[in-house]
Amino acid sequence: MAEDEDEAGYDEELDDGSGGMDVGGHGRRKRLFSKELRCMMYGFGDDQNPYTESVDILEDLVIEFVTEMTHKAMSIGRQGRVQVEDIVFLIRKDPRKFARVKDLLTMNEELKRARKAFDEANYGS
Amino acid sequence: MADPARIKPEVKPERTSSANEEHPKSDGADDGPATSKPADVNKESSSQDPAKQEEKSDMAAGEDEEEGTSDQASKRLKLEPEKKKERRQKVDEDEIQKMQVLVSSFSEEQLNRYEMYRRSAFPKAAIKRLIQSITGSSVSQNVVIAMSGISKVFAGEIVEEALDVCEKWGETPPLQPKHMREAVRRLKSRAQIPNTKYKQILFQ
Repeated sequence: MAEDEDEAGYDEELDDGSGGMDVGGHGRRKRLFSKELRCMMYGFGDDQNPYTESVDILEDLVIEFVTEMTHKAMSIGRQGRVQVEDIVFLIRKDPRKFARVKDLLTMNEELKRARKAFDEANYGS
Repeated sequence: MADPARIKPEVKPERTSSANEEHPKSDGADDGPATSKPADVNKESSSQDPAKQEEKSDMAAGEDEEEGTSDQASKRLKLEPEKKKERRQKVDEDEIQKMQVLVSSFSEEQLNRYEMYRRSAFPKAAIKRLIQSITGSSVSQNVVIAMSGISKVFAGEIVEEALDVCEKWGETPPLQPKHMREAVRRLKSRAQIPNTKYKQILFQ
């Protein structure tokens, strides 16, 4: 997949003369996650300044991942909608992601409860 | 999953005040880092304050006692789930203490990297926009939270595999596109990358 994208990008470069831009298969969409992905790659073990091309490849992969998950979630459970239960179901075989989703949702509930309790305490006084 | 922040929910007043600090900053922008930020604020302060660490483990023990009294109060509940919960919380706390010991012995560079690892997150607004552009209808906040969470895990898996590849080929970081592509190829063969484009027709 990534190799095909790269070859297509190379050909486009020759035709357009758009000079040095590794477009990839997803077109000239503006880079959505460049800054965050850089920090993330450093956090996961890469160099403090990762290569831009690597960041681009990772961004394309993440966008494709989100797209695939969304499509799958739309096709199960309630059709045409994406619900948390669908995501949890899709991820059930992957222990890391499953545990992470459970943790996140639990923590979110706790935070909501804590904020609510704090607001009520404020309101009372 | 070990999270030194786990210990904090018992310390409710402390936690909500720090959550409130984050509020003015994070409410305007996305809530993305907010879920990890309060945890981080507490973690950072704990790694610098060894005295505070002991306080927290005391409060954790106190929390166990509270569990005991509520256990007596609701006798009609089966005892087994309660025992399991207490055991799980004890394991949790052991893990949290081990993490605290580990983090307190980090070098400066390791601390930086760990901070980046905990704090980096995908912007919730962009993920929400992306999902909504695919579904055409709005999605709940929990979906966005779940999706950004697993996307981060996904990115981590790729980077880790790419670092393995890089090391195996005897090269050094920063990672190059060829490492990333080889990592993707390997993960695909392990079916860790979803792919619904090519459906194999077994019997034709």
